[in-house]
Amino acid sequence: MQAAKKVEIICDSLEVKNVLKLLEDFGITGYTVIRDVIGKGGRGMRDGDDLTDVFKNSMILTVCGAEQIPDVVEAIRPILKRFGGICLISDTHFVIH
Amino acid sequence: MMDSNILQNFLSPPILFFFLGMAATLVRSDLEIPQPLPKFLSLYLLLAIGFKGGVELNHSGLSSEVLVSLGAAIVMAVLVPIYTFFVLRIRLNVYDAGAVAATYGSISAVTFITTVSYLSNLGITFGGHMVAAMALMESPAIVIGVMLVRRFGQTGEGNSFSWKPIVEEAFFNASVFLIIGSLIIGMITGADGAKALNPFIDDIFKGMLSFFLLDMGLVAAKRLGNLGDSRWFLVGFGILIPLLNAAVAILLAALIGMSEGDKLLFAVLCASASYIAVPAAMRMAVPEANPSLYVAMALAITFPFNIVVGIPVYHAIIGWIGR
Repeated sequence: MQAAKKVEIICDSLEVKNVLKLLEDFGITGYTVIRDVIGKGGRGMRDGDDLTDVFKNSMILTVCGAEQIPDVVEAIRPILKRFGGICLISDTHFVIH
Repeated sequence: MMDSNILQNFLSPPILFFFLGMAATLVRSDLEIPQPLPKFLSLYLLLAIGFKGGVELNHSGLSSEVLVSLGAAIVMAVLVPIYTFFVLRIRLNVYDAGAVAATYGSISAVTFITTVSYLSNLGITFGGHMVAAMALMESPAIVIGVMLVRRFGQTGEGNSFSWKPIVEEAFFNASVFLIIGSLIIGMITGADGAKALNPFIDDIFKGMLSFFLLDMGLVAAKRLGNLGDSRWFLVGFGILIPLLNAAVAILLAALIGMSEGDKLLFAVLCASASYIAVPAAMRMAVPEANPSLYVAMALAITFPFNIVVGIPVYHAIIGWIGR
């Protein structure tokens, strides 16, 4: 097993494309996206019941090295500030296969 | 005549299903349409109406009258967001005013489709080019709305702004793309194409519309409580501005010499507000604006007003002017 950092981002569904591009720019090319996650945060209920993606959040899950974290966080911060959302970083291990 | 039209319209299955959806939310029923279905239903309706419009255009052809109608549609789509922006500034900040103005400058495809259903109940025909007019009226308001916000608002510090994604979203969003694409397929295949797709495009259309309006009712009722402190101003705006826009559209349509069905569709296009294409674009371009406001106004006030009262009232006004 190898030590790594787990990055969980919950953001506006309309911004997923931009966040993923940003991750790829930092060399993080593997990720999982869970669409239409619902919940409540500082900007109210995000219940995703509309025809547009306006009230929808999505979750992005990825793993990267500790050295990549500062750059990724600084790049994602303005998007979260402008559109809302959260970014959680935790220690993890992934199984080498 | 107006009373009987309103009653007849109110008692049509699609409208009653809309109220059933609203009632379900208000009594806290657990009725819900699983998430991918409303999107499928909306795509179906756009495909069907685009295709039908194309078949009509194949039959009637492009004339100077058609081009004048399309020009009038673009003029209204540009003017409405500009004047409504300044009306909205009385109570709203620049961002919300810009987003709501764009919403009212654009159109509601489902209101248009409900009007088509209303016309078919009365046996009144309409030109296929009105579907093209609908597609043309979706986008300009998005660009105008963003321009107004950038002209009168403060651009956030350090926020990079690019027109490219906004223009892409405005002109190539799923609704516009599918309507135009289906219209072209309808134009190419004509009556033979309509025959080939008949049960799908025609026979089940009203059933699908009813199902979709059931979901719209569920969502509209949920959004009713989102209007905040300016709710009475916004409710007044959401009813009076469509009436004003419809009145201007009917006069313009009379000047151009549109047919009865086309006049009603043009009035409905000018009176309706977008809750699909514009909110998505505005959320990207003007995140400072409150989506609860512009979605709630379009979906919970103007949409029900138009499909229940607006359509028969606009039709009655067209009848009076035509006498």
